[in-house]
Amino acid sequence: MNRKLAWALATLCFAVLFVPGLFAPEHLSPPDMANAYLGFSSAPPFGADASGRPLSEYAMQGARVVALPALLAGLLVVFLGTLGGLLACTGSQRAEAAAQGFGEVVGALPRMVVVLVVALLVPKDARSLLPIALTWAVLAAPGAMDEAAAVASRLGGARFVEALRAHGFSRARIYLIHIVGMNLRPVLMRQGVETMMQVVFLEIGLSYLAVQDSQPSFTHGDSEKSWADLLYFGYQAFLDIPSSHGLFLGLALVGVVALMSVFVTQAVRAR
Amino acid sequence: MKRWWIRPLVRVVAACLLPVAVPAVITAFIWALPGDPASIICPPELCGGTAELAEAWNLDQGATHFYTTWMGAAMTGDFGNSWRLQPGVPVGELLASSIPWTAALVVLAFVPLLVGAAGAAARIIPRQVDAILQAVGLTPSVVLALCAAAVVTITYGAFAFDDEAMRVKLLLGALCLGLADQALSGAVTGVRGLMEEERKQRYVQIAILRGESVLSNTLPNTLGALAGQMRARLLHLLSGAVIVEVVIRIDGLGDLLWQGTLSQDFGVVLAAAFGFALLSALLLLLQALVEVATALHVRRSPAGVVS
Repeated sequence: MNRKLAWALATLCFAVLFVPGLFAPEHLSPPDMANAYLGFSSAPPFGADASGRPLSEYAMQGARVVALPALLAGLLVVFLGTLGGLLACTGSQRAEAAAQGFGEVVGALPRMVVVLVVALLVPKDARSLLPIALTWAVLAAPGAMDEAAAVASRLGGARFVEALRAHGFSRARIYLIHIVGMNLRPVLMRQGVETMMQVVFLEIGLSYLAVQDSQPSFTHGDSEKSWADLLYFGYQAFLDIPSSHGLFLGLALVGVVALMSVFVTQAVRAR
Repeated sequence: MKRWWIRPLVRVVAACLLPVAVPAVITAFIWALPGDPASIICPPELCGGTAELAEAWNLDQGATHFYTTWMGAAMTGDFGNSWRLQPGVPVGELLASSIPWTAALVVLAFVPLLVGAAGAAARIIPRQVDAILQAVGLTPSVVLALCAAAVVTITYGAFAFDDEAMRVKLLLGALCLGLADQALSGAVTGVRGLMEEERKQRYVQIAILRGESVLSNTLPNTLGALAGQMRARLLHLLSGAVIVEVVIRIDGLGDLLWQGTLSQDFGVVLAAAFGFALLSALLLLLQALVEVATALHVRRSPAGVVS
């Protein structure tokens, strides 16, 4: 796929997913039983829930729940991955051993277990996806750091830096432009966007489990709805309840998140 | 090259550290939060006598006392009683009844990954399949688990906890776990990438010219990395088991951990996290062992070579 086209599609997916979050209402509209279970065509654009409230509000609130935490988690992975790549270029065995030690301990933890412990420790009135997303990012970082370090090592590591120094380039230019900008970028961007996708899916997973058990979610306040609520509402279509439009919308949002990840990976692939 | 033992050594140290560090970090967090631990775990407006609860949960004599007592008992297999999920029931019993389900689920899910990895290494699985696997792998585990739960509900209805239904749940759960979140596609593409990279090495080309098999030459040099990949996949499956077990309703360790989290039962959560850490440490040790064995094998001089 052409890189420009991939960028355009990735940007479009990003906009479709996260821009609506900026316009999300603070609370859902009051119930209107006359609109209950109306489909796409009867209650545009996305139909209504069992209380007649528009599903578009679910989608917008869900976007607000995931947008900022997913973005910050992605950026954190990019930052830590950059650090891993640059450490590999220093040629220091001590730094390498320290990075490996961090990776071994952090990478050896089953992520969901840690996430649940963090969710448990966050006070109820401060529940948000952000601490969970950042924890997930730290747990995902060893993979990104390893991959970035492998790319840096393939470049030649410290010898690559020395060679460019011999050409008269400044350290800032070598590290920021030649190593990070030109060589680590594909790996870092892919890892960052994959983490974003994982955080969104994690939010959906955690919220779905909570909704299924009729419990408040760990990732957002009780007044907000997430995309998991759409899936939960839509899933009842299997029980002959006319809610398939909710399932369709929920799955479509999941699909757009996955597509965004694919398009970004295509757009930043190495030349 | 000379210090080949550093990596396995770091893994062994990490493996020893992990089961001790995980409960320590959780305990530290409980005490680091503002307010006294008993009130955080069960607010006075819900539970009433906080002082009595603190005493009953061993939270009244500080973090160090709590941690050392808990670890000391855990080393003998005593994880205490459940605090809130099933008050009074020994956590060891809850773990003992849930671990077999999770073990069966993860082992069943790991089989296709192992087959896929072997197929990729031996070039049996063509590259063209990667795109399909990757497309399926983009599906989050919750969505696939929902589909599996729908199948079980439609097929078995009220009998969804019968023996036969539970077997079907295990199989479907393993399928979800194996396919979702790029588990299978990651195993196939990861192993293929590693092996293809190794095949390009000069020594492999010479081995082919000498009429030797490719795998017998590449395997010793890639075994350590393959063990690392398989360990990561197993951890991934263990992690994903939480969502699959809860959605499909399999009474495994993940479901126990989730229920413990929902009911703020630190007795259960601490024991489950310790169990996961122990398992992870075991996997780390196995990887270190494979690396050491491989390194010794590779460094052994071939017979007939005079140095």
